[in-house]
Amino acid sequence: MSGEDRFVLCMLAPALAILGLLVAYPVGLLVFDSFFKVDTITPHIREWVGLKNYIDALTSKRVAESALRTIQYSVFALFFEFAFGFCAALLFSALPGRSRWHRTIFTLPLMVPPIVAGLLWRFLLVGNIGILNYGLVHLGIIRDADAIAWLSDEDIVIYSVSFADIWLTTSFVALVSYAGLTNIPKDLLEAARIDGANAFKRFWHVTLPLMRPVIAVIVIVRAVDAAKTFDLIWIQTQGGPNHASEVFSMNIYQRMVRFGDLGEASASGTLFLIVMMVLAAAAYWKIWRPAHA
Amino acid sequence: MRRARRFNINGMLVNAAALVLVLSYALPYVYLLMTSIKPAADVQQIPPSFLPAVVSLENFREVLQSSALPKAFASSLTVAVLTTVLSLAVAVPAAYVATQYRRRITTLFLLFALVTRMVPSVSLGVPLFQLLKALGLLDTIPGLVLAHTSAAVPLALLLMSAFFEGVPKELEEAARMDGCTRFQAFRKIILPVMTGGIAVTALFTFITSWNEFLYALLLTSEATKTAPIVIAEYNSVYGLAWGAMTAAAVLYSLPVIFVTLALQKQIVGGLTFGAVKG
Repeated sequence: MSGEDRFVLCMLAPALAILGLLVAYPVGLLVFDSFFKVDTITPHIREWVGLKNYIDALTSKRVAESALRTIQYSVFALFFEFAFGFCAALLFSALPGRSRWHRTIFTLPLMVPPIVAGLLWRFLLVGNIGILNYGLVHLGIIRDADAIAWLSDEDIVIYSVSFADIWLTTSFVALVSYAGLTNIPKDLLEAARIDGANAFKRFWHVTLPLMRPVIAVIVIVRAVDAAKTFDLIWIQTQGGPNHASEVFSMNIYQRMVRFGDLGEASASGTLFLIVMMVLAAAAYWKIWRPAHA
Repeated sequence: MRRARRFNINGMLVNAAALVLVLSYALPYVYLLMTSIKPAADVQQIPPSFLPAVVSLENFREVLQSSALPKAFASSLTVAVLTTVLSLAVAVPAAYVATQYRRRITTLFLLFALVTRMVPSVSLGVPLFQLLKALGLLDTIPGLVLAHTSAAVPLALLLMSAFFEGVPKELEEAARMDGCTRFQAFRKIILPVMTGGIAVTALFTFITSWNEFLYALLLTSEATKTAPIVIAEYNSVYGLAWGAMTAAAVLYSLPVIFVTLALQKQIVGGLTFGAVKG
């Protein structure tokens, strides 16, 4: 081994050790446990059950419902975050002056702890004292303050809990999109204008194609994060009422902590992991690198 | 003439729209601030009012006089500092060789770090619980530091790699010509020019740990509860203590917001690095 190789290995070793101990080994343990009947309180006692945990998870109605809810939540949140954030970025870049202080306010929620965002939105939406409904009454949109039970109506709660997510991450979408927009060469847009393209055509044929990699990164990062969401929803409803806002990650947590079923929680955790990897890889190949697809 | 005027009206419309957008975006947090300085009884009045009728620090006094919150802030701070130090200590050297000495193992390594970022924390939380239990580290500061490090190292690796991309290979070669070993060149020449990037990375890892909730919920109980856990409990253990909750939430989030606003340029830069350059 050359001196150079030894240097590379020495510099890499601590990180490899940490990731091995804290990521690779736990993932291995997760997959291993998923084939056993094993209890959270006594994890050293295990009994081989083969694929039973997977079959149980895949045939459970509650698991299927929580998976569906995760998709509903992620699609809804991602759509509005992207729409609001991208429009805000377009607006900022269209401002005649500098948009510096607008963007300063937009950085405000960037680092706000998710549980604070969750509690804040719960406080805005909660029955009786939630100020949002009083605002809507004031604007004449609803008749009285009890008209919409955001967090206790089983039919809408999964969408209501995403408001906090939308508020929290619109700024991320806006600022990343803005950075992408400022990277587009001005002469390209100018050339299109001289060729007679109107504002919409310039946006559709110049801006959007050039923004494709940036949009891809935003969509991948945000979709993965939205699908993983736990704290933001937990703090608002703990999955209630009647499991109506229980997403997949929460279902895994409940089975591990409330029901103490480590084996089944591990099987679901493994499935979750695989789905996220496949989704991210597919998105990466399809959107980010269309030339290779 | 006509064209100039139309542009002006357009400009004003855009300005007005941006103003409305930005103000309504800030409104929820402003309401949280306003609520925290109301007297506790006024917080739950029906109908609610946006501005406080009387300004009172009652809610802040209550949360600071209870022993739970200050203790939780101490835990959060300790865990975040230790996580940052440990993560940077292992991630900075690794990111350096991963970008400056390209070979199969370093490429695989960076790919592994990227994949790790996709792992749902609940999937990792289940086996981490067992691992810490076996090591006797459940509900201890070192245990939570290890759990947070599992998330912070990949983040630090990716950020630091982006910063090291900009360092020319000649810098190390020049130092080696002057008689430095590779380690000396890294420690004495490379690290000093990277302080800006290291500071941004440290800030990100610190905030990641400071904001983390799920691992703290799974892996701690009485001894090392962090701030978000205690704040969440204001709404279950003590009934619906909205006043205390808003004050605690403000104390917990305001420092982070000040830091974010003060270092806005660097933070936005760090967040957009991968997205725009990648």
